Amino acid sequence: MARVSETSGAMVMGWVEMALRTEVLIIGGGATGAGISRDLALRGIPSLLVEKGDFTSGASGRNQGLLHSGARYAVNDPEAARECIAENRILRRIAPHCIEATGGLFVSLPEDGHEYRADFIRACAAAGIETEPLTAREVLSMEPKLSPRLIGAVQVPDGAIDPFTLVVENVRDAESRGARFLLHTEVTDLIRDGRRIAGARAKDRITGEAITIAAPWVINATGAWANEILRPVGLQIGIALSKGSMLITNTRLSERVINRCRPPASGDIIVPNDTVSILGTTSLRTEDLEQQEVTPEEVSFLVEELAWMIPAVKEERFTRAYAGVRPLVQSAATGDDREISRGFVLIDHGSRDGMEGLITITGGKLITYRLMAERTVDFICTKMGLHVPCLTHLQPLPGAGRGHTFQDRLLRLRHQIPASRSELLCDCELVPRETVDAILREGRVRELQDILHRTRLAKGTCQGGFCVYRLLGVLNERRKEEGLGSSNPMLRAFLEERWKGIRPVLWGISVKEEELIESIYKGLFNLTPQEAGPAEGDRP
Amino acid sequence: MMHAADTPTLPKNLPDLCVRCATCMAVCPVSRVTPLFPGPKQAGPGAQRFRSASQVSVDDWIELCTACRLCDTVCPAGVPISELNLMAKAKYRDERGGTLRDWLLVRSDRFGELFSRFSAIVNPLMKQRAVRWLLDKALGIDRRRELPAFDSPTFRRWFRNRPVAADAASRPTIAYFYGCFTNTNDVDVGKAAVVCLEAHGYTVSVPHQRCCGIPRLGVGDLRGAREMGLRNLSLLLPKVREGTDIVFSSTSCGMMLRHEYGPLLDLPGAEELATHLFDICAFLLRLQEEKQAPLSYRRLEAKAAYFTPCHLRSLNEGLPALELLRLVPGLDVRLIEAECCGLGGLYGFKKEKYAITAEVGKDLAKEVARMKPDVILTDCEGCRMQIRHLTGMRVLHPLQLLRDALPPADTPADIGAVPNRSPA
Amino acid sequence: MKRWDLIVIGAGLAGLTAARTAVDMGAQVLVVGRGMGSLALFGNTIDVLGRIKPAEDMEAGVAGWIAAHPEHPYARTGWPGISEALDAFRDLFPPPYTFDAVGGGNSLVPTGAGTLRPTYLLPVTMAAGAGISAADTLIVGLKGFKDFQGDTVSLHLQCRGVNLSLPRYGLEGLTALGLARLMDEVPFRESLGEAIRRQMAGEQRIGLPAVLGLTAPAEVLRTLEAVTRAKVFEIPMLPPSIPGTRMFHRFRQHLIARGATFLLGNPVTGADVKEGRCEEVILQNPPLLNHHRADRYILATGRFLGGGLQAGMEKISEPLFHLPVHQPDRRGKWFGERFFQTEAHPIHCAGIVTDADLRPIDAGGKAVLKNVWVAGSILAHHQMIDEHSHQGIDIATGYLAARRALAS
Repeated sequence: MARVSETSGAMVMGWVEMALRTEVLIIGGGATGAGISRDLALRGIPSLLVEKGDFTSGASGRNQGLLHSGARYAVNDPEAARECIAENRILRRIAPHCIEATGGLFVSLPEDGHEYRADFIRACAAAGIETEPLTAREVLSMEPKLSPRLIGAVQVPDGAIDPFTLVVENVRDAESRGARFLLHTEVTDLIRDGRRIAGARAKDRITGEAITIAAPWVINATGAWANEILRPVGLQIGIALSKGSMLITNTRLSERVINRCRPPASGDIIVPNDTVSILGTTSLRTEDLEQQEVTPEEVSFLVEELAWMIPAVKEERFTRAYAGVRPLVQSAATGDDREISRGFVLIDHGSRDGMEGLITITGGKLITYRLMAERTVDFICTKMGLHVPCLTHLQPLPGAGRGHTFQDRLLRLRHQIPASRSELLCDCELVPRETVDAILREGRVRELQDILHRTRLAKGTCQGGFCVYRLLGVLNERRKEEGLGSSNPMLRAFLEERWKGIRPVLWGISVKEEELIESIYKGLFNLTPQEAGPAEGDRP
Repeated sequence: MMHAADTPTLPKNLPDLCVRCATCMAVCPVSRVTPLFPGPKQAGPGAQRFRSASQVSVDDWIELCTACRLCDTVCPAGVPISELNLMAKAKYRDERGGTLRDWLLVRSDRFGELFSRFSAIVNPLMKQRAVRWLLDKALGIDRRRELPAFDSPTFRRWFRNRPVAADAASRPTIAYFYGCFTNTNDVDVGKAAVVCLEAHGYTVSVPHQRCCGIPRLGVGDLRGAREMGLRNLSLLLPKVREGTDIVFSSTSCGMMLRHEYGPLLDLPGAEELATHLFDICAFLLRLQEEKQAPLSYRRLEAKAAYFTPCHLRSLNEGLPALELLRLVPGLDVRLIEAECCGLGGLYGFKKEKYAITAEVGKDLAKEVARMKPDVILTDCEGCRMQIRHLTGMRVLHPLQLLRDALPPADTPADIGAVPNRSPA
Repeated sequence: MKRWDLIVIGAGLAGLTAARTAVDMGAQVLVVGRGMGSLALFGNTIDVLGRIKPAEDMEAGVAGWIAAHPEHPYARTGWPGISEALDAFRDLFPPPYTFDAVGGGNSLVPTGAGTLRPTYLLPVTMAAGAGISAADTLIVGLKGFKDFQGDTVSLHLQCRGVNLSLPRYGLEGLTALGLARLMDEVPFRESLGEAIRRQMAGEQRIGLPAVLGLTAPAEVLRTLEAVTRAKVFEIPMLPPSIPGTRMFHRFRQHLIARGATFLLGNPVTGADVKEGRCEEVILQNPPLLNHHRADRYILATGRFLGGGLQAGMEKISEPLFHLPVHQPDRRGKWFGERFFQTEAHPIHCAGIVTDADLRPIDAGGKAVLKNVWVAGSILAHHQMIDEHSHQGIDIATGYLAARRALAS
């Protein structure tokens, strides 16, 4: 895919340089990498982060967006539970604008029984997680869509978190303190200097340009991709890859996070997320990191399972399905991935493999990203002989004062949009053109998907059917000045990417939507599989 | 007396039905003239995804929806868009309370009866610039908008005082829902309705009735609308249970009584009423079509233009008035190809909305200017007011013209020919 | 209760064509549409069969297509049937707003994505778009009008493009309908023409979004061409479609003038079928169920979008008469792995199979209903999106269905 614009490309610092030097090289632009970057910056240590895609392209952007209270782990993994609730409280303080404090419910169906519920409440108390038992009647008045069969529920401080904003805010803060970032840059190899790692070789995935980065410390924060980084230098760690598939509804199903009050299993969490709800998840062993298609069986499984908690799930309109890959740290061989610790590991390859200067941090959960960063940076500081305390749990993220509800977008329809004469690019998610203009001014975006990551564009009912055409028009205003060609290849690529998410949920009303979108792009606009010749009519 | 559930809940997931196709954007009269209203696609199912019962409303632009319901009639997915808008308006009003203006305007039925009694004083007053200026400044009722004159006596009083035909008891009975405006401001429409029904051999009864509640619905006062609905049901259902059908001459009243009491307001007995409630022109047309020997209308040489009220479209029974008018020999009647007069009932009286209603109405006025008819006919009092305002022309209910075309023998002598109402 | 000669279910182009054909034969017709139908979405030009190359003869092209696709709806009509139906369609649009084939066969017209699309009949407002060249064309976008991106069009066509705003009129945020309404005003289109003229650099053709007036498109075209002294054409864009809305209004006007009754906004949810005949259909008009009777019925309810077909989690069904639906054997096979692929997604071939007279038949080839005919995109064995045949199928089968129905 072509660059979005010349100017934005040039504004990615360092992109035109061939050789770079930094103190700490962070590989991976997920929550962990971004957290490490900020932690280092707050302690005054220079760093450079390289990410092969955009921020949160991996598991950080492909999860349920659940701000765990820890309750889910209270019975089986008290340590994880304690970590979660501690981080939950920290995040509410430092990143309130990335969180919707919805609260969560653990609902018990007759088959789940009262016994587990009692254990659950005890375990939560032991982990320091506040609980409030609710009667069936109370729960149903709070969440009327829940199954009338339920026998009760326990309220816990679960919530919803927006991983992308969280990561971007970490990046923003780190950048203002001198940290650097390279997106769409893939590490191809680590540079060895005897028994030491001295940096990495990388490639700009858009321009193909090769970059050498010299760094005394390299942190492998690539999560599920950890072994991909280690393999070229002959190292390996014990992680299992688990694919989790999720479904997105068109409208919110519930106001709170809904969990099943039973030992953690597949298909038992519903998380409200902005205008929608995310239903999840499955847990399947996988080897392939890149091809993560959601199968019809997984879709049927999720619908069946979650309908036990909210029967309306069976009639729900889904707009998209997606999957992420969790890196699970293997401590002991066991059959069920949910039995493997969801905790994280920090591996010093110096002491483990005799390869100094290289650290791998993996496993864990989105909610513990900050703690993982803290531990990593603590370790590096010790190695460096520095005694600087961590500040990330105290210092709020830059946008923390900003109000944030999705209703603000609705509010803007009356006042801001008519006043600024701004076009509403996305009718479903109410994204005005000025949001896109601001992102373009920021200068980090290099391809269409980067813009889509940074907004709610294409995340609503029609999944970009109308707004991406409009977005490309906005981009073309600049592209034209730069002498770039047709944007239709970008449009085709978008529609192909969109298809991956939509195809698994095509039945019912979604099929109508597809007929509309296909009629527009293949019918009215005559877009064909390849750039076609004039006979079928692309270019005169 | 209120029903247990004050705010009826909609069936689940109505926004899910929407496929974002934008057909509604091809008809919405408001979004075609102003970018301030985002149009049905956004205001209805689009915004609904952002609304939550537990959150305070933020979308006050929902007030700009006139509730013409044209969007409902074109949606290929069956999304009840205007219903979503009404619910949103109602929530907004619940949170912030109604205005004095709304309080006064929705009570035009009560004030109407009073004003009608003193029409000799009230009518000239309302034409006074100072009075209109005051209403504009104090209440936000736009001074450019003529206030309808009051008739005296009211339709009810006129009806009560007229002699009963000797054979009245032997004829089948039909009940007539005349509506507030006919009662106090357009009595002649009521008279014409009675004459036309009698010409077909019916005895007309006029049951006690209250405002149908559509003005309250329009300002988001669902509670008030339900109250009016419950009263009307208690007044009208006994008639229905006696075996009497009811006709209405105002398409807005009819739409409210027949299609909002049940599906939207969930009033008990609404369905029973709906099955016995007919648009008067549809009723007369059916008599013409089904009777062995239909009435043959007198020749009337005139060029008439017929306008379809939006609420007739949502009644969805075609254009019965136009079809009836076509039975009048010599009458050249054509359909005005324009959508929505723009008034939106009380909406058009509000100062901040005047510009929108005027702009919407332009299309209709342009079409009328092109057609150059002698008279304009339409079933809705709001449309009649607006078209008079826009064109200065003679605008009648179709029944008023049909009455003039009735064969003489069938016209009871005690009524005589009532002159057509001309604009003030 | 009134008994109609014909009830047409569906107010898309197929249903409107059927109704119009029937009223012109003197029948008493009732049209019932759940909504406004596909015209308001995709009605721009009349596609008949885009697979036929522009220079090719349509008759030979269609004949060849039918030979290769014997189950295609066109096999029921043949080229003579298509041609007769199209002539009737064109009669509905007398000058100045006419529909014509440019150069006798298919022509390529620019779209809102800057691509060219093969089509057969063009409204007069689009005719000049056929056969444009990059050098002689200026694409004019309107600032703040999001459903037509002029830069996208001009970039792809590699021609010059400008985006205009007319400060006096405040175009930003206006909808297609709002713009079309302004175009109907002479002073507006004159000032737009002037603004375009100032931007021209020797171009002979001007491409604009398809909003050139709702009531007087030909007059709008005339004004713009007079002021710019260039050929002006409309470019089809994202829905809603103004040209399609014009078509819809024209049909409705004609039907009402000829005494047809037009019911819009409620779905037909039930049919009373006795001994293979439909006795009445039931229109859901909450809280009422309105019963309507006719001697004959035409089912023209469209595909999934129109509600003619329904996709459950496992099966595709026809919800009104529960007609047998030809379809792939399971959901996994409905759609291909890629959005763009050489073959159309298998689901597009699903639909109702009929006999030669367009009466629905079962898998054994036996007529299911004696007085019901099927028209338009709900029919099986076509790929209207990929083969660019949507309007052609609607018009040809709508016309044929009405003729056959009234002949019975």
